[in-house]
Amino acid sequence: MLLIRPLQSGDLDDLMAMAEAAGKGLTTLPANRDLLRQKITQAQDSFNQRCEPEAGLFLFALEDTELTRCVGISGIQARVGLDEVFYNYRVSTTVNASRELGVHVRTPTLHLTNDMTDTTEICSLLLSASHRKGGNGLLLSRCRFMYLDDFRRHFSDKVFAEMRGVSDAEGHSPLWDALGSRFFDMEFGQADYLTGIGQKAFIAELMPKYPIYLPLLPAPAREVIGRVHENTAPALRMLREEGFNFNGLVDIFDGGPVVEAFIHNIRTVRESVNRHVLLRHKPLDQEVPAGERVMVSNRSFRDFRVTTVPAYCISPDTISLPPDVAEALEVESGDLVRLAPLKDAGPAPIHAAGG
Amino acid sequence: MWLVRPAQPQDIEGIMKLAAEHCSQLSSTVPKTREGLEARIELSSNSFSGALGPDQCQRFLFVLVDSRDQQVQGVAGIDGRAGNGQPFYNYRMDALIHSSHELGVSRRVDVLYPSHALTGRTLLGAFVIAPGLCDSDAFELLSRARLVFIASHRDWFSDDMAVEIQGIQTEHGEVPFWDSLGRHFFDMDFETADRYSGMLSKTFIAELMPPNPIYVTLLSGAAQQALGQAHPATRRSVSLLQQEGFHGGSYVDIFDGGPVLEVRTSNLKTLVTCQRKSLRASDAEDGEQCLLACGQGADFRCTLAGISESLNEVIRAPLSVLHGLGCESGEDVMVAPL
Repeated sequence: MLLIRPLQSGDLDDLMAMAEAAGKGLTTLPANRDLLRQKITQAQDSFNQRCEPEAGLFLFALEDTELTRCVGISGIQARVGLDEVFYNYRVSTTVNASRELGVHVRTPTLHLTNDMTDTTEICSLLLSASHRKGGNGLLLSRCRFMYLDDFRRHFSDKVFAEMRGVSDAEGHSPLWDALGSRFFDMEFGQADYLTGIGQKAFIAELMPKYPIYLPLLPAPAREVIGRVHENTAPALRMLREEGFNFNGLVDIFDGGPVVEAFIHNIRTVRESVNRHVLLRHKPLDQEVPAGERVMVSNRSFRDFRVTTVPAYCISPDTISLPPDVAEALEVESGDLVRLAPLKDAGPAPIHAAGG
Repeated sequence: MWLVRPAQPQDIEGIMKLAAEHCSQLSSTVPKTREGLEARIELSSNSFSGALGPDQCQRFLFVLVDSRDQQVQGVAGIDGRAGNGQPFYNYRMDALIHSSHELGVSRRVDVLYPSHALTGRTLLGAFVIAPGLCDSDAFELLSRARLVFIASHRDWFSDDMAVEIQGIQTEHGEVPFWDSLGRHFFDMDFETADRYSGMLSKTFIAELMPPNPIYVTLLSGAAQQALGQAHPATRRSVSLLQQEGFHGGSYVDIFDGGPVLEVRTSNLKTLVTCQRKSLRASDAEDGEQCLLACGQGADFRCTLAGISESLNEVIRAPLSVLHGLGCESGEDVMVAPL
């Protein structure tokens, strides 16, 4: 069984291995043992409400219960830009026009902003190569929307994700080479790493503060603005299906897009329903394809757990769960759980089943 | 004898001919159309005559002529107030230090700021001379006669002066600074923009110029190299201006990136060294070559002459010079050494 649960200190080794395998480009999870340990502690403090709600960092582990190993991670940062400064470029348009001369020129311009300050970010998604199948990535990503939905007062109305921008196999980013490197005496990877480990002060000190007129940049740099790395394309597609849209902001280093959605508009949130648990001693067919499975969450703030079951378990008022699943979710018969489709497959199976 | 005097309506043909022959490579603020030139000469005449005051966009246009045939061999101008009542645009070259204490990084970032700071300064410009005279004393006469004029009409002009020097242009007519910067915003080639700049009000610059500062490091390599560099053809002009005390400051032209030279008016060598003397005729034909000017306003004339110095407030020059200048013995003149 694959189970979402809060990240724990015992996951450190698995997490470190995943971060190392991911290599460059994953800003929020650098392969730095101390830093990862610190993040786990922060996540535990967040789930146990031992820190300010705004400082919350909710990290979820995907556990393969048979291997008893953490095979994936995803996260929610309750608010960005509160104890550090959160930067993006806004891609906007400057129009210079002269009626007298019949000239009308649109100049795409990058403005340095802190527009996402105080907004909830979904971040840190990482899945072991061995488990990239059967909707595991969807579960890892979408379980967060169930959490956001159930505990809205802890988060902003809007949630966003920063998508990884274009870079080549050696980690060279065309935008960084044309822009960032002119102002920072360092490689893209180093800048990204420093950002990841929270040493962001250097950005404020070294970044160009005035708007950047895009025609002054070479074509390869202009072309990657707002575009994602090919490895990130599936993640972007998934978020679009959930209702996320490009909001006009891009990463200051690699030009990757920021996508955002209001929580109440996210598809998983809109299509989720509550059901009472009915224990039934009948083993589940684990081979049901992702399109016919639903996510089941236990709606616990402190010990949030989600797994998937076949849609046929749903009936008009209840959902039948075998004891091992109920145990993994820490629910008992009669408890209210929340359901959402794992994959968008036409008419939602939940509702077809009479919801 | 070479003579510099205010441009007059009958000089139009000569100026147009000169401009057509010699201005193709050199950008200049001399109008290129007959109507433009007529208007400019009229404005100049009103400025010289005093019909326009210092606060009314005085624009002076001088011509260099051979006194024998009155053929125009050069043109030079002074704008009483840069911008002529409108904003005068430049980029100010400035620098910011981006430094991170934490990372031990410190980096100088060059920035071009749009600026109107030179608006209202007295501006030299519109300098064109027949190529054959580039190495002659007539060149210096044409350039410095303006300064003698300023010396003799000091309260018409501001305390600080500027002159825009043409920037780098390739032999194919490409202007790297423009191609890297202005072209993107003005959507036209350099010649067109330059022509509009001389012809139209500056409104189009306000409308089309990027309003924010420009990071130099984002410009093309050729544009960065051209920044603040004078066109080789301006070498003599620049060297004369430098001898006068003009120096490259922090301003450059918004179109071609050429330097703007600046000076305190009272520090100009010509102003410091020129003296008011009483002119008498002498028999001697030789003497120390000096700039010699007489007349106020529209009657201003300036020439080169061999001066035999004499005592006190009197200098002597050959009688032919007095005739050339159209002044009489005993008249007050301004004299400045070459």
